[in-house]
Amino acid sequence: MAANDKGLVTTRRNVLFGVGAASGVLATGLGSASAAAKQEEQVTDAPVSGKTQERQPFYGVHQAGIITPRPAAGMIAAFDVLASTPEDVERLFRTLSERIAFLMQGGKPPVFDDRLPPSDSGILGPVIPPDNLTMTVSLGSSFFAKRDWLGAHKPKRLSRMKAFRNDALDGDLCHGDLTLQISSNTPDTNIHALRDIIKTMPDLLVLRWKQEGSVPVLPPKPDGSHESARNFLGFRDGSANPDANNTELMDRIVWLTENSDEPEWARRGSYQVVRIIRNFVERWDRTPLGEQERIIGRKKATGAPFSGETEHDVPDYVKDPEGKVTPLDAHIRLANLRTPESGANLILRRPFNYSNGVSKSGQLEQGLLFICYQADLEKGFITVQRQLDGEPLEEYIKPIGGGFFFTLPGPLDETDFLGRTLLEAAGHAVTRVRS
Amino acid sequence: MSQSTGSASPRPASQKLMQLAVVGAAALVVAGGAAFYYASKNVKPAAAGDAITVTIKNGACDPNAITVAAGPSTFTIVNQSDRALEWEILDGVMVIEERENIAPGISQTLQAKLKPGDYEITCGLLNNPRGTLHVTPSAVSDAEAARPALRAYLGPLAEFQVFLVTQGNSLVKASQSLDAAIKAGDLEKAKAAYQSARVPYKQIEPMADQFADLHNAIDPVADYLEKREQDPAFTGFHRIEYGLYTQKSTAGLENYSTKLLADVTALKDRIRGLRISPEQIAKGAQRLMASTAETKVAAGVDHYAQTDLSDFEANVAGVSRMMALLKPVAVTAAPQVVGDIELRLTDVSTELKALRGPDGYPSYDGVNADTRKVLSQKMQALADAIGKLNAAVGLE
Amino acid sequence: MKLKLTLSASLFALSAAILPGVAVAEVSPLDLVQPIADYKIYVSENSEKLVADTKAFTDAVKAGDVEKAKSLFGATRMSYEAIEPIAELFSDLDGSIDSRADDHELAEKDPGFTGFHRIEYGLFAQNSTEGLGPVADQLMADVTELNKRITDLTLPPEKVVGGAAVLMEEVAATKISGEEDRYSHTDLWDFKANFDGSRKIFDLVRPLIEKDEAAFVTKVSANFDAVDTTLAKYKTADGYELYDKLSEDDRKVLAAAVNTLAEDLSTLRGKLGLN
Repeated sequence: MAANDKGLVTTRRNVLFGVGAASGVLATGLGSASAAAKQEEQVTDAPVSGKTQERQPFYGVHQAGIITPRPAAGMIAAFDVLASTPEDVERLFRTLSERIAFLMQGGKPPVFDDRLPPSDSGILGPVIPPDNLTMTVSLGSSFFAKRDWLGAHKPKRLSRMKAFRNDALDGDLCHGDLTLQISSNTPDTNIHALRDIIKTMPDLLVLRWKQEGSVPVLPPKPDGSHESARNFLGFRDGSANPDANNTELMDRIVWLTENSDEPEWARRGSYQVVRIIRNFVERWDRTPLGEQERIIGRKKATGAPFSGETEHDVPDYVKDPEGKVTPLDAHIRLANLRTPESGANLILRRPFNYSNGVSKSGQLEQGLLFICYQADLEKGFITVQRQLDGEPLEEYIKPIGGGFFFTLPGPLDETDFLGRTLLEAAGHAVTRVRS
Repeated sequence: MSQSTGSASPRPASQKLMQLAVVGAAALVVAGGAAFYYASKNVKPAAAGDAITVTIKNGACDPNAITVAAGPSTFTIVNQSDRALEWEILDGVMVIEERENIAPGISQTLQAKLKPGDYEITCGLLNNPRGTLHVTPSAVSDAEAARPALRAYLGPLAEFQVFLVTQGNSLVKASQSLDAAIKAGDLEKAKAAYQSARVPYKQIEPMADQFADLHNAIDPVADYLEKREQDPAFTGFHRIEYGLYTQKSTAGLENYSTKLLADVTALKDRIRGLRISPEQIAKGAQRLMASTAETKVAAGVDHYAQTDLSDFEANVAGVSRMMALLKPVAVTAAPQVVGDIELRLTDVSTELKALRGPDGYPSYDGVNADTRKVLSQKMQALADAIGKLNAAVGLE
Repeated sequence: MKLKLTLSASLFALSAAILPGVAVAEVSPLDLVQPIADYKIYVSENSEKLVADTKAFTDAVKAGDVEKAKSLFGATRMSYEAIEPIAELFSDLDGSIDSRADDHELAEKDPGFTGFHRIEYGLFAQNSTEGLGPVADQLMADVTELNKRITDLTLPPEKVVGGAAVLMEEVAATKISGEEDRYSHTDLWDFKANFDGSRKIFDLVRPLIEKDEAAFVTKVSANFDAVDTTLAKYKTADGYELYDKLSEDDRKVLAAAVNTLAEDLSTLRGKLGLN
């Protein structure tokens, strides 16, 4: 449905060798690089990146792409699933696993006789670079509802997203039986991955909607510290995100564990929320800076709360019960109450900015492809969004699509595949054989 | 409204292409003519059997500079020196052809299929000066260079099948009407149906006459049967023609029309199953035109209805269709031959048209021997022109 | 049920089933003569039927008989849709016979908007034959000309074989949405004709690949069958239900089948050695 027409993320070659490449690559690459540098750049030369060989592991306790640092380009593609029998669903899960394992690893696709269509779209060349690709598979409630043999195994809190107060949902951009969250360093790598899936499983998956997004790239800071990226409202987004390196914290707020009352097969998985939130950027840009900051609750330039100096400073609402420093209805205050109880409502956000085109009224169709993960959908996103209902920011934003999904546990090793635990729980015996 | 209406619509691309091709062919005929003049002055023809004699004596070849046209050439090497020697055609350092150990006083022949280019020939001992062999492009080499791949004939062959099927269906349909009219005793209707059945049969005759059994049942002429009209093998079209036009009755024809219908139906099915290869098209057309020119034109075959001219017209229409199908493939490789065929086709058609009166063709017995001779010559010329096509496009 | 394949083995099986193998069956060009000849006959029959049906349809339009014209619309188009890979080789006629409003700058009001869909717009959106007389005359002239051109056309073999996939690509890209017959909603008639036209091509060349590509042939046939079964649910006495009657689930089944057929049939030319 929606296309991202935003060109993106090309590390200029003059900065590349200073910052981009890993040192090993740099050492071996220098000779040829300096030789190549003598050649003058041409208009249509491919932009150069030192990150194309960055690789994320497919196998693991959890799927990649959740606590994995967010790369510059992301996409959500939602599908309807045609597979209805356990056998077909197994084929779907296995095929998805095989394709994702290959794409995340990179390498050479098979070469066919040239009288046949090629096996690969070829948009990344004859050897596919991993480029930091992750593909994260999640299931919607309709996936379970449409298959009576799976109905009893639906994760307890998985529901069909209902419109919140400010939502104007477009049916063509909502829900789906299965989502793929695809992220990597470049939009092209994501598109390549999507086309691979579409070409491989036309009989099992019908594309329902997709939304691409991006994150602005920053130069590294001399002191090695990190900043949160900015959204299309110009504010840093993610300053108060929970620390994804804190395993104990992640087990509490992101992952389903043995402590949860959810079906056993769902452990190591997570709830995924996707929201396509249109921003009325023209109007926002015509709003006084002070008002923008009051609506968000942070200083625009630094991202710091009104009571602090840096974006990571924590606002103290206890000292500010009347909202004199941070207005009571500021976005950050409603989203995270910062009370002892509100720790249960934490969510891990992983959003991308999107830009699609022009509305019928000639305005930019831009906004936030909001993605978050949590162990408890109700205590997480649904609670947070209810708190946000009625916030002043609503005048500038309009959620138009998305859905609620359950992200499958990770494939443990080469003998495993996505969705195996679900199939086993449903009484469908599968064989695990090391490849 | 749109630019295209029924009358003012742009011509289909294929038609435009045809026109271009005709112009191109005409230009190439001129060029080809000039080339032929040049060739006839300087180049030994490469016809098989017309060997080039090379005599080797006193350490040299005679002639020492040879020019031949590309394609197969035959060389006769005469050793008039006093020792055994070998004779080779060299392309750089590569030996293309050679004859070794030619004894003194003996001659040997060597056949080589040569591509255009310059070669060297050895003349006896290795240190003897070498001769030169210049191979000029020829119709054969051009055809090979531009030899259309089998795939190129796929469209025309399919279209030919369609033509055969369509005509075969018409033949069966008309034979049904003929059978019905005969069984109903309707002489006039039967005559009309007879004539409509004859046209598709004659159009596909180049393929139909390949099936000897059916051909002998469908189209035998009384002249070739021992008891002529009374011969039990006298069946098919002409038997019915004999009844309708000479005996002027449908009586007694029922069995013949039943049989004819069965035979043409079988013919249609057999043609449907034919796996026709590209060279069969020109071959079939050539054979039909030649046999018509040689025998049928002089004596006629429609002895009772005297409608031979209609038969010829249908024959020519079939041949014309076959040539039109081959043209897009053949015209690049053999523009001259294609142009010649078209010229001859027009000749024959014009000749036939000239005989046509306001009420159609005259009775064939009214066509005098001189006219028949001219017609026969033109058909023969057409047959000859078609006979060159396969070789020219590398199909032989 | 146990799947005893290893991951890599099943990956291989997947490649074999869905993606074509490296080897291309050796098919002699001469083997294709018969299928192409048969297809030409199929095309000719359809194009003759199109002329006859269009005559009846445009007569009704010109007689101002809105109801009769409406009832003939869906069926009349079918013989065009079935042979679309060949019909659309003549781009001038395809434009004037079958273009949609959005192919024209001024949409429905554009003077270049003619043919079936212009008449469809008049009949179904405006419920009138007013001003359709000249459009009907031209449509009749266009299909007559099309029939004549088809008779004279030597079918390009790769267009014939490629046509099977082209028909599916068209349905996948622009028809499954229901935007083809947007005023009349007779899209299912078009679908049926598109699928039949595609299947005809497949069936004609099928004997040539049946031996070497058994899995492929089985899979494609199964998908065509799935389409037939789904479409059969919407069969009425004189044609098909309107497109809005198509359930969301069946739409998905058709979408998946059409995408899979497009994917699989795209290998047909290569399998037959045609570039």
